[in-house]
Amino acid sequence: MTSSSTNPPELETIRAQPGCYYSYGIPYLPIDQYPGRLIAIEGTDGVGRSTQIRLLREWLEVQGYGVIETGWTRSELMQPTIELAKASNTLNKLTFVLLYATDFADRLEKEIIPALKAGFIVLSDRYIFTALARAGVRGVDRQWIRNLYGFGIAPHLVFYLKIDEKTLIRRVLQARGMDYWESGMDLKLGDDIYESFRAYQRALLKEYTVLAEEYGFHVLDARRKVEVIQDELRRQIAGFLSESEISPVGVRPE
Amino acid sequence: MKAATKAGKKKNALTPMTFSLLHATDFADRLLYNIIPPLKAGMIVLADRYTYTAFARDAARGVDRRWVRELYNFAVKPDLAVYFKVPIEVSVDRLLARRLKLKFYEAGLDMGWSANAIESFRIFQGKVLDEYDRCVDEFGLSVINASGSITEQQRVFRRLVSQHLEIEANDEQLDESA
Repeated sequence: MTSSSTNPPELETIRAQPGCYYSYGIPYLPIDQYPGRLIAIEGTDGVGRSTQIRLLREWLEVQGYGVIETGWTRSELMQPTIELAKASNTLNKLTFVLLYATDFADRLEKEIIPALKAGFIVLSDRYIFTALARAGVRGVDRQWIRNLYGFGIAPHLVFYLKIDEKTLIRRVLQARGMDYWESGMDLKLGDDIYESFRAYQRALLKEYTVLAEEYGFHVLDARRKVEVIQDELRRQIAGFLSESEISPVGVRPE
Repeated sequence: MKAATKAGKKKNALTPMTFSLLHATDFADRLLYNIIPPLKAGMIVLADRYTYTAFARDAARGVDRRWVRELYNFAVKPDLAVYFKVPIEVSVDRLLARRLKLKFYEAGLDMGWSANAIESFRIFQGKVLDEYDRCVDEFGLSVINASGSITEQQRVFRRLVSQHLEIEANDEQLDESA
């Protein structure tokens, strides 16, 4: 559903207790009092999310926590279809939004919820906020996309690795170059991929800034060294885990 | 789109939520390519099943009713929605007579209500019909008694459509061809 108005004032922010569904949820999967913890790491491309998650996982596992990782478009069900759709550029923004939501639903039911039930710490590389930001840039109705993701579970912690436009562009170019989707070429902002990429990433950063406020992200400056960011993540997570009285489940890494 | 739905069904890997979302994705695709363009061109679109099918089927599978309705907010509201209604026994008999074997999702076997396909189908179909009844009130669907003869149903159907389009009902042609 698309809308021409960019910022309807009556937008209902969905607030939920951490570990609970944002809205109506999945009626056949009650999740109350599940012992696990859900930690999401958000941020645009090139901010070093996967590096930070790998380091966090090692650190948590050494302490005896059971950890699983989940990432955007990594579901067994949807990944091939999404890859195919991206390659052929045939889908419009609405079907794309729905494909991402299907992927998320599959991972939520098959990976995230079972892990929370078993007392694991779930490290999510990107979460629904990525979908909200991308849809926001593409003019998808904000209320509708929030309702759509009403079956999502509010994370206990959301870290946003924040970066500025200039650094972001340099990092992406250094790492692997620009691709069609990351450059928002589907938005037809222009034929110049560099200009399109800049405009798209700038719009995305703006969306994330709004979301950070709306959902209370813990914002970290991602321009700093990997170890410095990791230290800060560990400090905040350690504080949270001791407060929430979650103890290691005794599962050692295999 | 079809590929993912097919693959998921084949492996019996779909949950009620992913089943619902995949069908919504497929519907969005058809809406944008097959429904909206002819409407813009001033044509009449006859849709064999619409969002109400999803409302009934997904709610019967245990998905939240309000969520499915909001999910389909992007759909065009039909000018006329007709529900061909039959009692549960007729529905089950007709469907069973037509096919040799019920498919896994069609029979609602994913829900674990019964391991017996026919029994499971009966339970599932009962829930689906209950959900359709809700939709009738909620969305003002026009109900046609589908237990009667095809000729009779078509007569009523044409009358409804004619009223809606403000054209003369033409029953003569129907009597000849029926």
